[in-house]
Amino acid sequence: MWNDIFVNIFEDGFFAAIAAIGFSSISNTPRRAYLTCALTAAVGHAIRYVLTLPELGGVHIILASTVASFAVGMFAVLFASCIKCPAEVCFFPALLPMIPGMYAYRTIEALLSCLYHSQEEVFVHYFYLFAYNGITCAFIILGMVIGATVPVFLLKKLSFTATR
Amino acid sequence: MAEAFGVSLDIFIMPAHVTISVWNTDRTYAEMAQRKTASCGISFDLNTRLSQLSWEVADNRLGLPAAKERFERIQVTKPTGKWEVLILTGFANAAFCRLFGGDPFAMLIVLVSTLAGYRLKQIMLEDGRDVRLTFLCASFFSASLSAGGYIFSIGSTPELALGTSVLYLIPGVPYINSVSDMIYRHYLCAFSRFLDAAVLTACLSVGLCTGMLLLGLKWF
Repeated sequence: MWNDIFVNIFEDGFFAAIAAIGFSSISNTPRRAYLTCALTAAVGHAIRYVLTLPELGGVHIILASTVASFAVGMFAVLFASCIKCPAEVCFFPALLPMIPGMYAYRTIEALLSCLYHSQEEVFVHYFYLFAYNGITCAFIILGMVIGATVPVFLLKKLSFTATR
Repeated sequence: MAEAFGVSLDIFIMPAHVTISVWNTDRTYAEMAQRKTASCGISFDLNTRLSQLSWEVADNRLGLPAAKERFERIQVTKPTGKWEVLILTGFANAAFCRLFGGDPFAMLIVLVSTLAGYRLKQIMLEDGRDVRLTFLCASFFSASLSAGGYIFSIGSTPELALGTSVLYLIPGVPYINSVSDMIYRHYLCAFSRFLDAAVLTACLSVGLCTGMLLLGLKWF
């Protein structure tokens, strides 16, 4: 069982790293930051995966994302000066694979479904999906940003002088 | 940086404008300027270069003409090559599909639909089309292509291919920026960025739903 879990954790980190490089290229990240972004994203996503595993307590996705983002922020601040980029350049792309995209568009889909169905029971079901997806999405992003920003202020000098 | 030039600065940031007032040292005289922000898209490369320039001014006392020349050079920095972005985004979205539990067939479907949808997005933006229409069309295109997996029952997770095929369009950076602005109490900017991102998400959802509706697929 543990062998499978370790393989899954490694796999999760590996694919998160590929996703981070790809999504960061859309935002014109400097090429020298790709590797750092990939490693940071891999660590962050793998931490979130471990925390949400039912075998290891099954922490709620909002708390897991906040803790993982804190790790992302720490990594980004510590390694930003090595590649002479602001810490934000490392942690923004690393956070992108954790953005709850599916929750975001399912919120809108549920809202559209509310308009499409006039029967009270069905309407209430879709309204529930709208509220559940929307609230979860908002709190995941809030937790992620707070988690990743805290290290920037904890290590203020290091993070603000990364490009010096 | 302002200290290096012997002045002090007040910066007032609005969603589409920036106002800067530059004060002399004893704060008895100020010059103000208001400009529209450049619509150059998100570029972490520009952020990095501007941050480096600010430290060079602060540490090496780079003069105003030299700093201005460096600034103008930074302004014409080339963005990442479009083919490089296209291929990396395709692989990124396929990897994303795997993170959600998609099988290799679903990953392949997502790769193809992302390449097609993202290329359409690039073409439409190059032609100067409205960004909201672009998101709607790209999402419709990607969703319709990836729905093929669902219709022809390719692989064991066609629903994941369909669900993740449009995720490359989620405006992640504006969402993060919006919450970041909120933490720094820049509520107007936060609200404006959030609405921008929400409108784009709505456009991609409409594109996805239209694709599914036309192909007769269930939404949830």
